[in-house]
Amino acid sequence: MVGSTVGNTRGALPPARRRVIRPSLASVALDSVTVDYPGAPSAVDNASLDIDAGSIVALLGPSGCGKTSLLRSIAGLERPVAGSVSIGGSVMSSASTWVKPERRSVGMVFQDGALFPHLTVNENIAFGLKATGDRTSRSERTARVEELLTLVDLDGLGDRLPDTLSGGQQQRVALARSLAPNPSVLLLDEPFSALDAGLRVQVRADVAKILREVGVTSIFVTHDQDEAFVLGDRVAVMRNGTIEQMASPDELYRSPTSRWVASFVGEANFVSGTPSDGGRQVATSLGSVSIDNADDIAGAGAVSVVIRPEQVEIAPGDDAEITAVEYYGHDVRYEVRLSDGSSISARTHPDRLLERGQRVDLALDTSTKATAFVTHADAP
Amino acid sequence: MTDPAAAFTAPARLGGSRAASRLQRAPSLLTPLALAIGAGFAFPAAFVVWRTIRLEASFSETIGEIPGPLWRTVQLAVLVSASTACLGTLLAWVTTRTDLPLRSMWRIVLVLPLVLPSFVGATAFIAGLAPGGVIHDGLDLIGIDAPRRFRGLGASWFVLTAFTYPYVMLPVSGRLANLRASHEESARMLGCTQRQAFLRVTLPELRPAILGGSLLVFLYTLSEFGAVQLLGYDTLTRVIFATRLSDRALSFASATVLLALAVAVVVAERRLRGRSTPDRRAAAAGTRRPTELGWRKVPATLTCATVAAIGIAVPVISLGVWARRGLAANRVSFGDLVDPAITTATVATITALVTVIVVLPVALATTRRPGLGPNVAAGFVVGGFAIPGLVIALSLAVLALNVSAFGFLYQTLPLLIIAYVVHFGSQTLTSAEQAVRAVPDAVREQSQLLEPNALRRAVRVDLPIMRPGLLAGGGLVMLATLKELPATLLLAPNDFSTLATEVWSGLEEGFYAAAGLASLTLIAVSGALTWLLVLRRMDSAA
Repeated sequence: MVGSTVGNTRGALPPARRRVIRPSLASVALDSVTVDYPGAPSAVDNASLDIDAGSIVALLGPSGCGKTSLLRSIAGLERPVAGSVSIGGSVMSSASTWVKPERRSVGMVFQDGALFPHLTVNENIAFGLKATGDRTSRSERTARVEELLTLVDLDGLGDRLPDTLSGGQQQRVALARSLAPNPSVLLLDEPFSALDAGLRVQVRADVAKILREVGVTSIFVTHDQDEAFVLGDRVAVMRNGTIEQMASPDELYRSPTSRWVASFVGEANFVSGTPSDGGRQVATSLGSVSIDNADDIAGAGAVSVVIRPEQVEIAPGDDAEITAVEYYGHDVRYEVRLSDGSSISARTHPDRLLERGQRVDLALDTSTKATAFVTHADAP
Repeated sequence: MTDPAAAFTAPARLGGSRAASRLQRAPSLLTPLALAIGAGFAFPAAFVVWRTIRLEASFSETIGEIPGPLWRTVQLAVLVSASTACLGTLLAWVTTRTDLPLRSMWRIVLVLPLVLPSFVGATAFIAGLAPGGVIHDGLDLIGIDAPRRFRGLGASWFVLTAFTYPYVMLPVSGRLANLRASHEESARMLGCTQRQAFLRVTLPELRPAILGGSLLVFLYTLSEFGAVQLLGYDTLTRVIFATRLSDRALSFASATVLLALAVAVVVAERRLRGRSTPDRRAAAAGTRRPTELGWRKVPATLTCATVAAIGIAVPVISLGVWARRGLAANRVSFGDLVDPAITTATVATITALVTVIVVLPVALATTRRPGLGPNVAAGFVVGGFAIPGLVIALSLAVLALNVSAFGFLYQTLPLLIIAYVVHFGSQTLTSAEQAVRAVPDAVREQSQLLEPNALRRAVRVDLPIMRPGLLAGGGLVMLATLKELPATLLLAPNDFSTLATEVWSGLEEGFYAAAGLASLTLIAVSGALTWLLVLRRMDSAA
């Protein structure tokens, strides 16, 4: 897509050379960052994070967990009271150093897009090209704006004013505007949350494609697990101002390091059981299951095992009763009440649809390993 | 003599579009009624223009007398608009966006100069600078000679700027508070320094508010009569007033020119306001940190204090000192003001009531029967705010004198009230429309099912819900009426005196004590009303 319509001005250069967006890839390192607001507990509390150059990282957490404050301290819009922020190896913020936001070579896409309402789409995109220190000539600027418009698939809309665009188009303009000055790092603050549900999925896919194409180091904040998983190479899960776990989406889902992460990232059943074989196996009421983190639970008396709903196999029988059926098309989610009164959820393919009130037997899919946590007296 | 709340509403109203009501019923009398009312509002201005054209016989003689005052009027209006635009924007920014100490106090104090009609402000400075006045004596104490001549363009510019900058400050503050922090932050992320972000992003977004406020100041200055008269600056209003009996052709020609100027500046402002539509989405909450002023806190505080001193403290003290001397020497007493005060209150209340009754059908038509007719009617009502009060008064006075059918109205209270209604109707319209819109369609439909009698329905459902909006609209008119001078001077019956005319006659006779006491009473009354109508609402909105 890049350069396909404006490439003729640059003759026979190979496609890769025609790209105007050439981010200087930079890593980002946060070391023990703490952000305080007057009269409130720390928004970010001693958070450390290492982000590889060129990767896309999601900051995922419930609202109020400090993810936006963390993002804003990378941008320089918040000054941490402790800790340091480095971009591309140079310190941006520490006890002794402070680099102003406009000098960090960081782009940011805001939740509301924040397009300047008095400027056209072209003028919005060119905005950062006219700022201090940029010596781009007028013709270069025009070419760059054109290519960015093509990149975000908005050719021909350059003369429109922002309020004549749809929400999704506005967000794509905001993205193009942030990319125009070739930032080393791109930050996105809940970039899709202001969009309608249907549009959100589409814009998310578009943005994912553009970010991959450009290859810029990107950090985005979201409270939506799907968004974090779809877009992020790695996902940092935040809670109460601290980073609970940072891993690839698959690792987060399969091997959460805490009960909280297990239940925040996807749906989890916690099934109690007794470990054996040095923690490698746990016997539960639904059967025996292999454990991934055997070392963590070795020697413990009682553990609870994270069983994802799709690991529960369900068939007509007698052990339990279906209390609710949610039909999604691609799968069906059942809530099942066990004989001991506890509930468990299961997800299966909809080809053998069961009904509410039906008696069923449950079993565990033993082909994958599960994660288990030692049960503490106070844990449920 | 427009009002603070109009600073938010009137210009926006000119271009407002509204969604059609779901309750479209068969055509009723509402639209024709609204059009008739609109025609009534347009009539005085149309009469002035028509008469001027009809008087063309003497037109060539009079035309030579106009350029001088016209040039002076334009000069003053441009200077005052420019200085209030700068001062109002600066003060708005300092009091909403920075860590200025006591900024919420300054936000209120700096609006107070609105309470003083500019002719009262001029009075205060003339009296204060006279030998024995507080400014004269105060400057004497620190070894400075008070300027002996406080007259002309400079003095008029100073006084009008000091008392009208809130017309810019109020809308700009409102806009600044509503602008989303993310716009400025985006600019920062795109490489702008704080100053560049303000100039390239914030200022353009403030432009409609600054222009709207400056437009009000411009129109206010055009129609200003009392202050410029007192300060010996010869503008068109002075010509209109001075020649209204002796040289009616000149008076009418001047009125037409003034009218044309007002229309031209309204049109120009609409062009200049530009293509950006106001962003009505609410500002993101809580993330904005105030700009740290650092050492600049000192000059910023000094600026606020100086402006407040000139706009409210010095005038009140100056008037107070004269009034106290008069009271001490038993030359004036509050008793003298009882009758004017009662008259003022009565006239203001009647005007408010009549205005609301007259404007309500137009508001009902524009909101419940939207269409071309009601919009035209509303346009005429709103247009009244651009017509100088003196022009309306002149038109009505001549009409009563020369058209025998209206002769019985000459120098009667009803004619004065008609002038007020035409002049101030625009200030009620927006409130009345909001009041009408406050009755949700669902509630009206529900009430139709429960109460078949339309009149009883209006009394039991519509009016109680509309009451706050209508009261607010009426209050604005009361406030404007209290402070009105030129139309009152021109149209008032013999032996009729309001607080404003008391101030005026006190000054004309050089009787500072009487003028001071009447001014203070006027300030107190209009201050109380302003607090009720503007400041209180500003607080609850914040």
